[in-house]
Amino acid sequence: MSDLDRAIAQLRACRPIPEAQVRELCHKARELLIEEGNVVTVTAPVTICGDIHGQFHDLMELFRVGGDVPDTNYLFMGDFVDRGFYSLESFLLLLCLKVRYPDRMTLIRGNHESRQITTVYGFYDECLRKYGSANVWRYCCEVFDYLALGAIVLGASTSLGESKGLRPEQSSSTQQEIDEGIEIELLNHLGGVIDRFPRGQAKHVTRGSPSTKSSSSPATKTGPPGTAASGYSRGTAGNSSGAVLCVHGGLSPLIDGIDKIRLLDRKQEVPHEGAMCDLLWSDPDEIDGWGLSPRGAGFLFGADIVKVFNHANDLSMIARAHQLVMEGFKEMFDNSIVTVWSAPNYCYRCGNIAAILELSEDGSGESMLARSNGEVNRSDGGVMKGSEKVLLAGPARRYRVFQAAPQDSRGMPAKKPVADYFL
Amino acid sequence: MEPQLRNNDLQSQASSISLPVLDMSQPHTFLKPAKRINEGHDVPAFLTSRAYSDIGVFIMQLNIAMCPRKSSESGGTRTWQLDGTNVLSGPVQQLRELLQKIDSIIEEAPPDTGPRRFGNVSFRKWYEILESRVQALLETHLPRAVLDVSASSDGTSVLEELTPYLLGGFGSAQRLDYGTGHELSFLAFLGCIWKLGGFSTEKSQDGELERSLVLGVIEPYLRVVRRLILTYTLEPAGSHGVWGLDDHSFLPYILGSSQYCPAISEGDSMPVEGALPGAPNPGDIAKKNVVERERKHNMYFSAVGFINDVKTGPFWEHSPILFDISGVRSGWGKINKGMIKMYNAEVLSKFPVVQHFPFGSLFSWEQDPNALPVSASVHTASQPTSHPPSINATTSRPSQATRAPWADSKGGGEGPTPAPWSQKHPAPPQTGLPPTRAPWATSAAGQLPVRSERNSGMPPPPPDGPTKAPWLNQR
Repeated sequence: MSDLDRAIAQLRACRPIPEAQVRELCHKARELLIEEGNVVTVTAPVTICGDIHGQFHDLMELFRVGGDVPDTNYLFMGDFVDRGFYSLESFLLLLCLKVRYPDRMTLIRGNHESRQITTVYGFYDECLRKYGSANVWRYCCEVFDYLALGAIVLGASTSLGESKGLRPEQSSSTQQEIDEGIEIELLNHLGGVIDRFPRGQAKHVTRGSPSTKSSSSPATKTGPPGTAASGYSRGTAGNSSGAVLCVHGGLSPLIDGIDKIRLLDRKQEVPHEGAMCDLLWSDPDEIDGWGLSPRGAGFLFGADIVKVFNHANDLSMIARAHQLVMEGFKEMFDNSIVTVWSAPNYCYRCGNIAAILELSEDGSGESMLARSNGEVNRSDGGVMKGSEKVLLAGPARRYRVFQAAPQDSRGMPAKKPVADYFL
Repeated sequence: MEPQLRNNDLQSQASSISLPVLDMSQPHTFLKPAKRINEGHDVPAFLTSRAYSDIGVFIMQLNIAMCPRKSSESGGTRTWQLDGTNVLSGPVQQLRELLQKIDSIIEEAPPDTGPRRFGNVSFRKWYEILESRVQALLETHLPRAVLDVSASSDGTSVLEELTPYLLGGFGSAQRLDYGTGHELSFLAFLGCIWKLGGFSTEKSQDGELERSLVLGVIEPYLRVVRRLILTYTLEPAGSHGVWGLDDHSFLPYILGSSQYCPAISEGDSMPVEGALPGAPNPGDIAKKNVVERERKHNMYFSAVGFINDVKTGPFWEHSPILFDISGVRSGWGKINKGMIKMYNAEVLSKFPVVQHFPFGSLFSWEQDPNALPVSASVHTASQPTSHPPSINATTSRPSQATRAPWADSKGGGEGPTPAPWSQKHPAPPQTGLPPTRAPWATSAAGQLPVRSERNSGMPPPPPDGPTKAPWLNQR
């Protein structure tokens, strides 16, 4: 067993690895990440995940639901750290998996992967508490600077592939009935079908609030998507879809094409403003054009912005994280953008469920040739050709939703020396 | 105002120092409270202001009032519990009724059942109703002595000065959140009434008035706030997740730990260690049955009980700071002293929290000539120095998960402000409320990058440094 495999085993047991090993791991990770472009190209099949925020046991639940690495190809959209109790174990495990299986694990940067934010929202305090010094925090921050800013998923099919990772007792009946015309499938943590939405179903389904009004108990009902499949998609079943851009926050008024993201100098602390900041901080909202973000960084952007951007860049969809959604995921703007949130019962009190998004592989293998998404000179500068918006076929989406991991077998730790205030 | 305050050991004087009551035989010039803390550098100036000194004195006098007293009767010790029979003075009774009326507005603004992200938009309706009635409510419930104060001729009335502190005490309608900055605003509201002689112009008898304020007003206020948080799923303002003391409150940990301190005699200073015989062990906060029993009597356990109400999971995991404090071996006296130091460092010295606090004639921005210079501590040394101009703009949008700590956010202590959109922004402002709400996550009052040094690659200095409350002893 290699040192790396031993570290993975130790971290899977939720035990931090020694400082010297963290240093070595972070060094290797940097060497790997420095070779990646600002926008990593990922080929379907892939499972896209949102914020984790140090919820280690829920990350383990995510792997149970989505399949283990390297059997499943994962893309995490940032915010691994802060607020939760196990940011350190969660981030280091993901980083180990990245180093061990570089082609099966894509990590992109969230707004919390930053020195300034982690000193405020907990990760710094956590490292200090767990190691007695800030060295590990510093090593991790150096890795943060090298994380990619986005990813582009190519070759996702317009029809759902066979569902992997089913529990044996669940695998018998449902999957044979997979209809080529299904655009969105919603599965529970055991792989059982909760809901399906055929392509071309133009109706917008507005979902009610989660079943629980009290924040004290997690939602038990897993509602269908925030928005149903729409009639905009024109894909022929079985063909590849347009590409999917994955980014932590959203779009920037300074970025009209994916090429522009490629030109940024990303290897730095997240700036307070500018394109790099916006990609990590912005949020979609029901507005026209751009708006000021109440977060104090990034922008709000409306449906028109997303549609123009997707059209100009041959995208069928944008996947992003960054905002808690009670149902785990939420599609907006005629399915042109989705928020994926992967931290169930956020901060032990929000009662939300979590989701991951699976995009399956296009069987024809032609997608890579047929498309030149995101390649240089592909952008038409954001100019819409004609008034009719021609949107690319959305990929078939399989969302798996899950709740917080059970809390058994988490032993109580010894009390740590308390802060100076109480000495 | 309190010339000896910072030069002497407050511990030995705490029982005799109290917030001064103004001489109301002279006309008083009220001021509309205004925001003064605009940048991180303004925090040190706040820490040497008269307002800061007054806040510190007021908290210390409430704190020591809740400490048990030696007594010749009733087994040798007098204690004050939440569910005890506490005699409330007229003015306190009036404020209690005010809180009941504020609480009952919840009935008129039931939570919205439509789709939402986290915080419930009906809180805005609740807040609007409160705003529309606050004038009448204050005219009905404020002590006569306060309403009758003669204002100077320039026209700012006492209500104009007091109202923002009350409104600022119930969270942010814009961001749908609540945090310690709002708690501070309500405390200042009570401090204003105190200074105007609304509770009494006589000297308090061994903390009797202060106790009546804590038990008769502050605890009922915390109950209203908890109901608001539950009803509208208000976000914790500026949450550090598990790495903060509590998502919303601080005062109950100060006042509740005082309730369990060893008994003192009149004139004694606050105990710095030890515990009242029969008080629960600090470690009992992790025991649900003890919390359920004690939360009826004690403010500390009442706050922990509320955490248990809203959070699931192991206590040590979702509340590690409180869990660690529960390991303190020198008793509730030590915890009480630590909580005061921590309040000074984590609430009063933090830009994101205090930036919203407005200053008027009663809580004054004027510099206290006797204040000790603020040493550059980890809490004050690296405050945000500037922010993009755009961020001064306020919007009608709700808050989002994480706020940029360098952002100046619109605060809880002030009324609604117009939304001047930034010139640097490429887009026109939008209006109206969004159909969905931001996550619960943080907040609002945002966060303070106290220790951050952008791009430096250097670790921040260790947290929880040696900052002490300057009104505590300076040793």
